[in-house]
Amino acid sequence: MGYLRQIGAIVWKDLVVELRTRERVVAMGGFAVLVGVLFNHAIDPTVVDPQAIASGLIWVTIVFGGLLGLGRTFHLEEEEGAFQGVLLSPIPRDALYLGKVLANFLLLSFVTLLVFGVFALFFGLRFGEHPVALAGVVFLGIVGFVAIGTLFSAISFRTSMGETLLPLLVFPLLIPIVIYGVTATSSLMAGLPASEVGGNLRMLGAFAVVALAAGAGLFRFVVED
Amino acid sequence: MESSPSAPAEDRHPGSSWAAEPVLSARGLVREFGPIRALDGVGFSLDAGQLMTVFGPNGAGKTTLLNVLAGGLKPSKGEVHLRGRPLETGDPEWHRRIGVLSHQSFLYGHLTPEENLCFYGRLFELPDLPRRVPERLEQVGLARRAKSRTRTLSRGMRQRLALARALLHDPEFILLDEPYTGLDAHAAAVLRGVLASLKDGRRTVILVTHNISQGLELADRVAIQARGRFVFLGNRSELNAGTFEQFYREKVEKVEEVG
Repeated sequence: MGYLRQIGAIVWKDLVVELRTRERVVAMGGFAVLVGVLFNHAIDPTVVDPQAIASGLIWVTIVFGGLLGLGRTFHLEEEEGAFQGVLLSPIPRDALYLGKVLANFLLLSFVTLLVFGVFALFFGLRFGEHPVALAGVVFLGIVGFVAIGTLFSAISFRTSMGETLLPLLVFPLLIPIVIYGVTATSSLMAGLPASEVGGNLRMLGAFAVVALAAGAGLFRFVVED
Repeated sequence: MESSPSAPAEDRHPGSSWAAEPVLSARGLVREFGPIRALDGVGFSLDAGQLMTVFGPNGAGKTTLLNVLAGGLKPSKGEVHLRGRPLETGDPEWHRRIGVLSHQSFLYGHLTPEENLCFYGRLFELPDLPRRVPERLEQVGLARRAKSRTRTLSRGMRQRLALARALLHDPEFILLDEPYTGLDAHAAAVLRGVLASLKDGRRTVILVTHNISQGLELADRVAIQARGRFVFLGNRSELNAGTFEQFYREKVEKVEEVG
C-alpha cells in the first residue's frame, strides 16, 4: 500500500507541476498541431490519399512530439536540487521510475488524443470500426514508448549532452513500436477486422512489459551514485 | 587541543564510553572524483544527542562528507554505520532515519510549502500528515505562507521550509550544510531556535558551517576539515571560543602548506 502511495505521490507532483508550468504539454501539443497544419498544406489529397498514410504520420508525430516532453522529465527536477531530495527519501527506485512513467503516460495520452483530433480535423480521417482495438494499439505503444523514454531521459539528463542525446539513444529502440504500431493502426483504419492485428497487439504488449521491467530494474543504476 | 595536521585526527571522544556502540560511526572514509580525493580517511563516532560542528575552508570536502553520510554518494573506501547498520546508498531504512538540509532546498518552486511537505511526507510514508504538516510550518514560522507558491518565498523563508522538510519525518540523525547561509537576523534567530530544539538528547546532528560563533554555540564536538581530512577532532569543552578562530587558521594553513 505504501509502495502505491509513493508512486501516487510522484504522479501527483509531476502532474501538478505540469499543470502549473504547462511546459511539456505546450511543447508536445504545439508540435502536434504544427505538424498537422504543415502536412495539411504539404499533402495534395488529389495525388495522395491521406487515409493511406495517416497511420505513419500519426505515429511519427506521437514519437517526435513525445520526445520533446519526455526529454524534459528530469529537467523539471533540477531547480533547487529537488530530485536529490527525492533520492534521499526512502522511495524504492522502481517506484520512483513507475511514478515517472505513469505521469508521462498520462501526459502523452492527452497529447495523443490531440494528435488524433488534429489529423481527423485536417484530413477527415476514418478510424475504422474497432475503436477499442485501436485504443489498445495506441495504449500499448505509448506504454512501451514512455517506459523506454523515461529511462533514457534519466540517462541523458545526467550527461553533458542532455536532451540532445535522448533521440539518438531512444530512436533505435523505438523501431519495434513504430513498426507494429503503424501496421496495426493502418490495418484498423483500413477497416480490417480486429483479429487481423492480434499479432501486432501481442508484440506491442510484450515490448511494453519488457520495457517496463527493464526500466524498473535498471533505473536505480542510472540515478544512484 | 593539538593534533597533528599531517595525519588525520583520531577520534578521542573522551566523553563517551567505547563499550557502548555509538549512534553514528564512520571509519576511513575516502571519496575520489577521478584524480581528486575529496575525502581522505575521515573517521569519527557520535553518540545520541550529540551535535558535531565541522569547520573547514571551501573545497575541504565538507559537503562530500555530508553527501556520503546521507547515502547520496558511495564512499570509494571506508564504512559508515548508523546504530550498527552499514550504509548502503538507496537503502530506504537508512533514508528514513536521516534528515538532510543541503545547500539546495530540495523544494519544488511550483508547489506550495504545504504541498511540498505533503509530497515528501508521502514519500516517507508518514501517517499523520494533516496534523504534522501544519505543525512543522508553524514551527518554522511559515504557517501564514502555507498556500503561497514556494518560488515566491524569500531565500530565508525557503531555507526555513527546507529545514521543515528535513525534519518532517522526525529523523534521529540530522545533517545540516551551511544552514545559516543567506538568512537575515530574524530568520537566523528562528533557525537557531529550531536547531536548539533538536538538542533533545535523542538526535545526533552534524552541522557544517563557516560561521565560528554559530558553529560553536550548540556544538558538543568540533572537527576541522581541510584537504579531505579531519585535522582536528575534539570536544567543544576543550576549546576556547575566544581563540578558536586563530587555532582554526593555524590548523588549516599548516595543512595547506604541507599539501
